[in-house]
Amino acid sequence: MYFPYFIAYIAIGLAISLALFFWALKNGQFQDQQRARFLPLRDDGGVQPARVSRWGRLQMLALFALVSIGLAASAASLLYAAYLRG
Amino acid sequence: MIADTKEIFENYATAKAFCLTSAFWMMVATFYGLLGATELIAPDLTANIGGIVFGRVRPTHINLVLFGFVTPGLLGSAFYFIPRLLGTPLYSERLGVATALAWNAALVALVATLAMGMTQGREYAELIWPIDLAVVAVFALAFFNFTMTVARRREKILYVSVWYVLAACILTACTYALGNVIWRPNTGALVGIPDAILLWFYGHNIFGLLLTPLSAGVAYYVIPRATRAPLYSHTLSLLGFWSLIVVYTHVGTHHLLQVPVPTWLKVVAIVDSVAMVIPVMAFLINIWYTAKGKLGEIHADVGAKFVFTGTIMYFFVSIQGSFMALPDVQRVTHFNNWVVAHAHIGVLGFAGMIALGGIYYTIPKLTGRPLFSRFLADFQYWMVLIGMVGFTIVLTIAGLIQGNAWLNGETVYRVLPEIHVYYVTRAGLGLLIFTSALLGFYNVTRSLLAKRGAMP
Repeated sequence: MYFPYFIAYIAIGLAISLALFFWALKNGQFQDQQRARFLPLRDDGGVQPARVSRWGRLQMLALFALVSIGLAASAASLLYAAYLRG
Repeated sequence: MIADTKEIFENYATAKAFCLTSAFWMMVATFYGLLGATELIAPDLTANIGGIVFGRVRPTHINLVLFGFVTPGLLGSAFYFIPRLLGTPLYSERLGVATALAWNAALVALVATLAMGMTQGREYAELIWPIDLAVVAVFALAFFNFTMTVARRREKILYVSVWYVLAACILTACTYALGNVIWRPNTGALVGIPDAILLWFYGHNIFGLLLTPLSAGVAYYVIPRATRAPLYSHTLSLLGFWSLIVVYTHVGTHHLLQVPVPTWLKVVAIVDSVAMVIPVMAFLINIWYTAKGKLGEIHADVGAKFVFTGTIMYFFVSIQGSFMALPDVQRVTHFNNWVVAHAHIGVLGFAGMIALGGIYYTIPKLTGRPLFSRFLADFQYWMVLIGMVGFTIVLTIAGLIQGNAWLNGETVYRVLPEIHVYYVTRAGLGLLIFTSALLGFYNVTRSLLAKRGAMP
């Protein structure tokens, strides 16, 4: 019998989630979202941005080529599965 | 002496400890992975050495990657950026360092007990009860430290990364305790199908409610910093966070579609697996729009490059996950190496990449010096990327061969020679990953402990 565990987990999880959600709502966590976007940049300290290089752009192209190969492998597996089903 | 101690504990000691932990255990974890891959092509290699037979090597590899390499790497960054986002120091660096020490003690015990054959015999939940308690305890300690830091914050708004890290720690403490049936110390299990359901509830949530939120938290911090651009939408990020919490908790049963699990539970698992597209795309759209037009800046920062690549892999692994939850697709792709490829994209390609990115982004901030070697970090990036994409390709092919064969009723012994060449390639790629871990450990250690960094 596993239902009691799941029901207890779901009930406790739901209660904590709802409590947190309403705390966040009352606490103004969903307000001032424009300012929230900038929070990671707050202590930037005037650091100069990293230099962009041609080598960096080449690496980016190579990266996308590798990712495309991976995606193609995945797409092939899905098509193959569909083919076998058909 | 007192002044020295004070300096140590005010100098991101916890973040440094977790970064070092991650770099060290990545070496051990990937060695076990390489060993396991080698045993699959040479089964008699360790036949008379009980501690390192395949049945003990595989769980050691998995648990070390999960709790030794990826999670500490992500937490290392979190212990740096959470105080900064909240505008206050970490509640207790002493507690943080103690947590890191306890974490490492648990990892040593993990390796020793699994090598001695002390296991609860459940996939991903092999660890015995005392180590289960230790794992729950260290997550609870980390959660307590973060929560107390939040309580003392000077910034009113909790940035989305803070939400993700807090959720990851507390949800993992709860999910781990439940999934490992911690109230039954002798077995750590229920009986029959209920146990399988509970196990996969745990097995999938350890990825979805630990690695995913921690990785998202790191990405949401590193990408805006590296691009020097504000987050595209904080509201969208919160939508992604809450939808992840709602949707991800129920997907585990999609691993049990072929067994007599209640149909309603299968339906819930499939629907939620497809619905995962909501939190995934909320996250990816947000990160990619933040980085729009600034890919050059990302690639100029090796940490951000790792992180951004991790987000691409997240897209890849999530699309796969949603599709493979469909019964028709699963007829071919499940119970074979296709799933192993999927797992490597998720844990190494997504969470592992972001963990490494977080470490390399954070270390110069922790030490106030550049990395010991930008070149070594770059080299490791390409080794991990090529190795991981290679894993994807060869294991996907091997999985399709296996899936097709079993679908057509072929016997196992006829299939094994067909996939042997892919296993050999996989072991070769494993060597690449292991070597990259050695380079990474050297680079991280020199960066953290040496007096001066040496660029590039």
